[in-house]
Amino acid sequence: MAVTAPPTAPAPGGPTTPGGPTVPGAAGPGPHTAEPPRPPHTWQVLTRATRAWFEGTPGRLRVAGIATVLACLLFGIFAFVAASSRAGALSDARADSAQLVRVQTIRTNLVSADANLTNAFLVGGLEPPAARTAYEQGIATAARTLAEASGNNTRDAATLAGVNDVLTRYTGLVESARANNRLGYPLGAAYLRQATDLLRTDALPQLESLDKSVQSRVNHAYAASADATAWLVAGLVVSLVVLVVAQVWLAGRTRRLFNLPLVTATAIVLVVGIVLSGVMWWSLDKAKSTRSNAYFSTLALATARADAFDAKSSESLTLIARGQGQPYEARFRNEADNAQAILTRATEGGNDDIAAAARAFKDYRGVHTTIRKLDDGGNWDSAVALATGSSPNGSNAAFQKFNNASGQALDQSSSQLRHELDDAHGPLPAFAWIALIAGVAAAVAAGRGVSIRMREYR
Amino acid sequence: MRRLRWVAAAGLGAALVAGCGAGTTPRLPSIPPSSSSSAPSSPAPEPRSDCDDNNHASRVRSYAPGSPLPAGDTPSQTLARIRKNGKIKVGVSADNLLFGYRNPITGQLEGFDIDVVNQIAKEIFGSTQSHIEYVVENFAQRIPDLQSGRVDLVADIMTINCARWSQIAFSSEYFKAGQQVLVRMNSRYQDINDLNRAKAKVCTAQGSTGSENLKKFPQVRPELVDNISDCMVLFQQGSVDGIISDNTVVAGFHAQDPYARIAPRMLTDEPYGLGIPAKDVDFVQYINGLLQKWRDNGFLRDTYAKWLPAPAQNPPPAVYGRALPS
Repeated sequence: MAVTAPPTAPAPGGPTTPGGPTVPGAAGPGPHTAEPPRPPHTWQVLTRATRAWFEGTPGRLRVAGIATVLACLLFGIFAFVAASSRAGALSDARADSAQLVRVQTIRTNLVSADANLTNAFLVGGLEPPAARTAYEQGIATAARTLAEASGNNTRDAATLAGVNDVLTRYTGLVESARANNRLGYPLGAAYLRQATDLLRTDALPQLESLDKSVQSRVNHAYAASADATAWLVAGLVVSLVVLVVAQVWLAGRTRRLFNLPLVTATAIVLVVGIVLSGVMWWSLDKAKSTRSNAYFSTLALATARADAFDAKSSESLTLIARGQGQPYEARFRNEADNAQAILTRATEGGNDDIAAAARAFKDYRGVHTTIRKLDDGGNWDSAVALATGSSPNGSNAAFQKFNNASGQALDQSSSQLRHELDDAHGPLPAFAWIALIAGVAAAVAAGRGVSIRMREYR
Repeated sequence: MRRLRWVAAAGLGAALVAGCGAGTTPRLPSIPPSSSSSAPSSPAPEPRSDCDDNNHASRVRSYAPGSPLPAGDTPSQTLARIRKNGKIKVGVSADNLLFGYRNPITGQLEGFDIDVVNQIAKEIFGSTQSHIEYVVENFAQRIPDLQSGRVDLVADIMTINCARWSQIAFSSEYFKAGQQVLVRMNSRYQDINDLNRAKAKVCTAQGSTGSENLKKFPQVRPELVDNISDCMVLFQQGSVDGIISDNTVVAGFHAQDPYARIAPRMLTDEPYGLGIPAKDVDFVQYINGLLQKWRDNGFLRDTYAKWLPAPAQNPPPAVYGRALPS
């Protein structure tokens, strides 16, 4: 507390302009005083002015004015942040879910192309045109999806570029295998083995780890979207408390019960706050139900398909290894068990398409069991016939049924996922801006309300 | 396919002739005409347990048909078991162009060893039809599969040597091979010694005699793979400078790659025998009986002529009198 400040402040005749004391040159030449009063520092002057500004009732009114304006702006900003961060999190969830489907699509197509290829080699002879077409479609889809996926998220681009490198080397090896095969050279089988091993030891693990990291991003986005509510609640509560306290104080001080602009500001905050809370609650609820239904189904189907295709390819590899296929059969069992467990869990949601896919996969496994029995019983030729032929009770036909059912279910659930997340996201950006504008409007009203009282006081 | 086989066979022929010309190891020793081999040196074989890889006779010595069996064994117990199963389980190779390979056009296994297996099945069952269960193996899997009983017999260019005799049993010798090196056509390496001096990368299969032999060239950087044909992929991709394996194998590779060249020097002596579990002495005797018959009736010679270059090798004579396993 500066003790010398008060007397100088009200000095009426003094020509002290704020700049005055700080300019010694103006008064300097005056010869009459030996001890000129020490000029106060700038900050002292400011402190003095500020103190005076908040002094007494007008000062308190000013405080009330600033507080209510800030509270309204705070509401607007917090509400804006809440709605836009929810919107952002939901579009992240949507983008990352789509990315997840892409990653699994790449995996599925690579493995499926490989399965078609190994199947054709298993038969011997020139590969059937249908098998070649299926292989080429699988590679084309995988390559296209790779480009799409790395364009959609730069964070995944490095891993996807690695997968792309493997894909290039893989197709090169496959073409060498074909060329040798065409010449009748058994060396083709060695190239095929190298290609398949490369895919399995290099590309698939990279895709699996990418799948995990994208999944954790989706989970993170859902969590962030839930957290957004806190901003809205904080903004709403703080601004309402400030507005109400200010009005109660004003009512006591000015003997007027209501101040229309302030009431308006409060009403704006309250109404917009409640409406936005409703919208936020609705979108969160929608996002939660999407996560436990459409997202869960999509994730389950995409993963189950990739695992199932991996199993199918292992079936051919087991037979190609002829008597030494135990590692491939172990891989089959692992992948097929995964797929089946995922499908069984997903079926509990009551989705008929998934149930159909699960049934089809079970049927396919039945055929596989027969193939294993034949091969293990030393009946390799019959096992190969069942595994490669296009007969309706063969492995290919049974797997095709699963492929159709699960592909259809996946398309359906991933488009449902997209739509639901779009819906949940839809009104949020607009509401974010409405809340911000409402906050500004309320702030204007509050400022006006307090300034009326100020004028009355003078 | 037939053309390919002849190319391979020509390669092997050149290799064998070149090996002879180089004179480093005695190739194609003068073998008495097949008629005389009907009277093998087995009137009173002295059972001998010493085995020396440098002594050909002690190395390839097997059990004579009808010679004594280990205590408790009956002459045809293994055969009876195989007959009862209706199937003989045979370990073969699927990537070795002359001896055992999967014909990519037909999808069927073919080769010298496959013909031998078919003939064995014919002798046991009267026909080959669905009486053979092929187990395609890489070299390192052959001995474990014999020891575990996964297969009854291995017909997969298997070199007879003393280390292996301590784990399994062999039939009498049915083919003579030797190791050679495959390099690129325009390679500056003429020989394994050049590769060794240059610290070059040389590929061979795990569990093969090639991988043992490679240890004698310590400067060489070895590249060991599971399947010998993986070496050829690495070779064509340029990641290894040479391949060391039996001439039967490298000739097959050469036939599939005109840009490769076989270095002339024959490095080792590789007598081939059919691998059989050590305990199945009765089955070794049975197979040796068959081989003896095929030496006499010309089947082996004809099969050489079918797969290998003219003039066909004479079947190596049988050497008997190995001491029974303890």
